[in-house]
Amino acid sequence: MEWVGLANYAVFMAIFIGIYAILALGLNIQWGLTGLFNAGIAGFFAVGAYTSAILTGPAMDGRLGGFELPVAVGWLGAMVAAGLIAWPIGKVTLRFRSDYLAIATIGVAEIIRLIAKSEDWLTNSARGLNNLPRPFGDLDYLYSQLAYLGLVLGCLAAAYLLVEHQFRSPWGRMMRAIRDNETAAAALGKNIAYRRLQAFVFGACLMGLGGALLAHFNRSITPEGIDPMIATFLIWIMLILGGSGNNRGAILGTAVVWIIWSMSEIVTDQLPTEVAIQAKYIRMFLIGLMLQLVLRFRPEGLLPEEPTRRSGGPKSDGGGS
Amino acid sequence: MSHTQTGGPILSVAGVSGGYGGADILHGIDMTVGPHEIVGIVGPNGAGKSTALKAIFGLVQVRGGAIRFENRDITGWAPNRIVRCGIGYVPQVDNVFREMTVAENLEMGAFLRRHGLDEALERVYTLFPDLVEKRRKAAGSLSGGQRQMVAFGRALMLDPQLLLLDEPTAGLSPRYREQIFQIVRDVRAAGVAVLLVEQHAKQALAFCDRAYVLASGRNRAEGTGPGLVADREIAQMFLGG
Amino acid sequence: MDLLSFVNFYLIPGIVLGAIYALGAIGITLVFGVLRFAHLAHGDMATLGAFLALALVTGLGLNPWVALPFAMAATAVIAVTLHWLFYEHLRRRSAILTVIASLGVALMLRAVVQVIWGADSQSYVGGITRPESYFGIRIKDRELWTLGATVALVIGLQLFLTFTRWGKAMRAMSDNPDLARLSGIDTRLTTALTWTIIGLLCAAAGFFLGINTELKPLMGWYMLLPMFAAAILGGVGRIEGAILGGMVIGIAEECSVLFLPAEYKSALAFVILLIMLAVRPTGLLRGKVL
Repeated sequence: MEWVGLANYAVFMAIFIGIYAILALGLNIQWGLTGLFNAGIAGFFAVGAYTSAILTGPAMDGRLGGFELPVAVGWLGAMVAAGLIAWPIGKVTLRFRSDYLAIATIGVAEIIRLIAKSEDWLTNSARGLNNLPRPFGDLDYLYSQLAYLGLVLGCLAAAYLLVEHQFRSPWGRMMRAIRDNETAAAALGKNIAYRRLQAFVFGACLMGLGGALLAHFNRSITPEGIDPMIATFLIWIMLILGGSGNNRGAILGTAVVWIIWSMSEIVTDQLPTEVAIQAKYIRMFLIGLMLQLVLRFRPEGLLPEEPTRRSGGPKSDGGGS
Repeated sequence: MSHTQTGGPILSVAGVSGGYGGADILHGIDMTVGPHEIVGIVGPNGAGKSTALKAIFGLVQVRGGAIRFENRDITGWAPNRIVRCGIGYVPQVDNVFREMTVAENLEMGAFLRRHGLDEALERVYTLFPDLVEKRRKAAGSLSGGQRQMVAFGRALMLDPQLLLLDEPTAGLSPRYREQIFQIVRDVRAAGVAVLLVEQHAKQALAFCDRAYVLASGRNRAEGTGPGLVADREIAQMFLGG
Repeated sequence: MDLLSFVNFYLIPGIVLGAIYALGAIGITLVFGVLRFAHLAHGDMATLGAFLALALVTGLGLNPWVALPFAMAATAVIAVTLHWLFYEHLRRRSAILTVIASLGVALMLRAVVQVIWGADSQSYVGGITRPESYFGIRIKDRELWTLGATVALVIGLQLFLTFTRWGKAMRAMSDNPDLARLSGIDTRLTTALTWTIIGLLCAAAGFFLGINTELKPLMGWYMLLPMFAAAILGGVGRIEGAILGGMVIGIAEECSVLFLPAEYKSALAFVILLIMLAVRPTGLLRGKVL
């Protein structure tokens, strides 16, 4: 009875947490490792979602698509597409301070949103792309969800290992050491610029993957499905609250914030409709406020970043968190 | 801004230690400056000479010792408090507002003045007549020597009793260097004591009344300018032979 | 299309939009120059200013142009308060954290506007205004007022910055903040003054946008990219640059419908921004590069 419902809901939540955690890890590699402020997460997310949808979805009149490629190809395509968008943006703006990247990524996200809304032939505009294939979609409801959760967790584990490896490598430690020090970064020259671009693109690929995962879970993607500012912002607060620079922190932060966000949605859904609409914006306000409070009182987050070892020498597991 | 009793130093630094961030650069230095003296600080690279000036002006943390100016303990004071009580500071680099005119640079130096701006401007233009015709030009467009004059002038606008100069001739050609030293003499003649850090030890010592030799954040020698120049041992050990 | 039609349907609206962008870009360039970070809440602060004016119009029945100065003053106070609440403690730590905080402030401001005034479009005055005709050039009264007010504000600001003690202090802080501190300039007061000016300009920009088009909670956010593009195009830290950049982008945007689908107007600002950063990051009038 209710147990099944609860179990279903828990799995449902876990899938979302898993997907957003992948996004948070992507952001961690951009921000936590490299100090890049990506304010257009929703854009890369959308690119991934739409690319996968176009590659795997059924044919429709007057619209690009109908390739009906396997889902795995779609997801790979999502990552590639997101990376391709990230590359030129990074190339132009990463020479400068992160402020410029912030503005550029806001622009990218905005353009992508416009394209999603307006280009019928590509994205089917407001109607979106539907009937997307979902792995294990034919199973019974709970098993289907569980199977998908397994997939998501698999992707998350792979992402975690990849990102963690980056953090712990000698390059990673150096990146973190110079992250806040622009003069040092400039002195180290082209190599660093290339590595920063790499980190930016890699993070974007993860964000594209997250988009694809969500699109296939919902079996559809529409432009209004997710408010881009909220999506971008939620990931940021997930990372900062969890602990930027710490990958386990990123996952923890995602879980905490998503649970708070969903719970608050349940609460406000109970309210009468007029108030419910206001409530949505009040939730937005509170999330924004939460970021300020975290930045003020616990900027290192729940799981602070492990300090880089200055002595060089063999890699050691970071002591405590 | 009062003068102390004649004969006593206006600045006394006693046992001062400190530095940036974690490590100390200064390890208990002592020095004094009298009311109309030109005092030099010389020594090898990394001796802590510039840091000593910054410690006096409140730009680096002082973790031990005391700094007194005109009988007041100014240890640990913030720069804008120190500037108020009569010490001017000219940094080595970035010492003018490049986009602002010469006149505006001087006005900014006088930001804390309630009155007497015009007289102060007059005094500075008298000291640096070259600046008069340049006063509407952007400071960044001037030659190195003239920029230094603007930098000095800015610091003099509040009529300080003591001027701290951090390597005033750095990056200047020998001709301008001599010009700067002459300006320092003129500043002293106008009634201001000068404490300056210099890399070109021999030239500086030639016109300093007294000087301190610092190395590794400690006092190594002290004496009159010409006296130190003549001392071969000191020249060998600390002043690059 | 003849010249007169071009002027009436593209150039005039472009100039008006350009004036609005110029006001916003001046604020952005001031924050870049004096405070040294990208103020991502700039657009939403303009939205707030516009809606505060609306509140005075609907609540007290004021003429919108009478409500404007009050809205500007209120926004100025709010700007200083927001700095004190959310940015002050971060400035000492790292500039990029202030940028992140400003994104959060943008979201909060937008949420406040949406909660209080709702998401529907609103207007200061109802009905349709007919443009007046001057020698064949058709321009609405409110457009003339907008241009006039913008010119007045800009001239006032330039006079302030050039001739007053505190205006020069702001320029000194923008030029060389360490030297400013060494000279005894009170950087906290100068910062507060800068935010006051930002608030005034934001409210004006929002108001002009609202009175010439309509008021919507996202109106300021959609201006953010063009305003930043204008500031960077003109040269960061240069007020003349912000004005030039604003006019260029405003006119370009209005003329872009001649060859671009209307939805992509804002894409133009973005493209200009990227091109400037790639080719000439100091901008047309050689400003700073952060």
